[in-house]
Amino acid sequence: MGVLLSIGTRKGLFLLSGDAEDGHWQLEGPLLPGWSVYHAVVDPRDNVLYACSNNWVYGGSFHRSSDLGKTWERTEEVGLPEESGLKLAATWHVEPGRRSEPGDVWLGGDPGVLFRSSDGGKTWEANQGILEHPTREKWQPGAGGMCCHSIQVADGAVYVGISAAGAFRSDDGGETWAPINANVAADFLPEKYPEVGQCVHKLLMHPGRPERLWQQNHCGVYRSDDRGESWERLDGNGLPSGFGFPLALEPESPDVAYVIPEESAENRVTSDGRLGVYRTGDGGATWELWSDGLPDQAWAAVMREGFASDENGVYFGTQSGSVWTAPRSGGWTEAARDLPPILSVEAAEWS
Amino acid sequence: MAVILLPSLLAAEAGGRKRFELDAKTVGEALRALPVAPLLFDEGGELRRLVNVYVDGADVRGAEGLDTQLTPTASVRVVAAVAGG
Repeated sequence: MGVLLSIGTRKGLFLLSGDAEDGHWQLEGPLLPGWSVYHAVVDPRDNVLYACSNNWVYGGSFHRSSDLGKTWERTEEVGLPEESGLKLAATWHVEPGRRSEPGDVWLGGDPGVLFRSSDGGKTWEANQGILEHPTREKWQPGAGGMCCHSIQVADGAVYVGISAAGAFRSDDGGETWAPINANVAADFLPEKYPEVGQCVHKLLMHPGRPERLWQQNHCGVYRSDDRGESWERLDGNGLPSGFGFPLALEPESPDVAYVIPEESAENRVTSDGRLGVYRTGDGGATWELWSDGLPDQAWAAVMREGFASDENGVYFGTQSGSVWTAPRSGGWTEAARDLPPILSVEAAEWS
Repeated sequence: MAVILLPSLLAAEAGGRKRFELDAKTVGEALRALPVAPLLFDEGGELRRLVNVYVDGADVRGAEGLDTQLTPTASVRVVAAVAGG
């Protein structure tokens, strides 16, 4: 069994199929030429390929393919109700729902909005709980806009991360959303620990221990073991910087996480002029650099969606168009290079 | 009938069809009848800022905008603004 990487780029979608162990990869694309693909993922329930497609002229859109990109169907319309006074600026992240709910798919976008589909992404309905959230007036757009970029679906809970609004949890299927930002710093605000306004860069739930959440934030790396009720900051023990965007977990090891730190919010390139992946195997107590095979000197940037892992390996793509892959133990291989700026990487089983 | 011509990205989204012949009285009526209308208009029904429309070579923003009248032989060309990178 190999892996299929969906590589969303500024100029289309690429598919990279192969195996992290033997290092042989085959590139296909660009698919959806002319579209910036902010995020793409294969739905593990039915192998439908979803893409958050955006164009500077034609706005935010969404495409789905039932034959892995040979043909595409565009969602007829994805937009916000006129009475909201908001307009969709971009689609950012698509998340398949629970296995027990075929066709259930979630979509995040800018300006801090969430949609849900019950027909596999053919039609979408804006989530009113997020759209009319009582704290919305306190949310501020970050450099990437006010994007809903993280959606995690568990049995009994749904989590979203919106920058710079914070993390939220719904325990009632998306009707209402509680801010879950306690102990998470917002150093850029006058009040350092507000209820909302934290700039979460990426939020992930561990699939095998769903009460455990991780987040790479504008102000540090955090872990929660109680569904976001409280957070522990983890970046003072081996990481060169608490600033960064991407985050990846190991599906079968709740104590393992990977980050790719950047120098600082003011200088958004890899720390110390080195492209380095940092791994913790003890829940964030310590971090170790994992850079075998990566260039010694590199001032790269990996976007928030540009990092993925599965039971076979770890994968990331850079804004300079390289895709790096590694088996769990071993060195990194440049599986593709000279692609357009990479916005997202997702891994799916492939045979 | 008026002829509507689409740029390549929109044509790809319209099933590969670049040219449409439509019986429409105004530019707005013609554009809203296209299968790619959601890409041309935002949620408020406004023509997206970077979508330019020319009728017989003249920018409709210099005429009546979406209310610009179409003659039966009008040629309507949709052009993406020169933007991006």
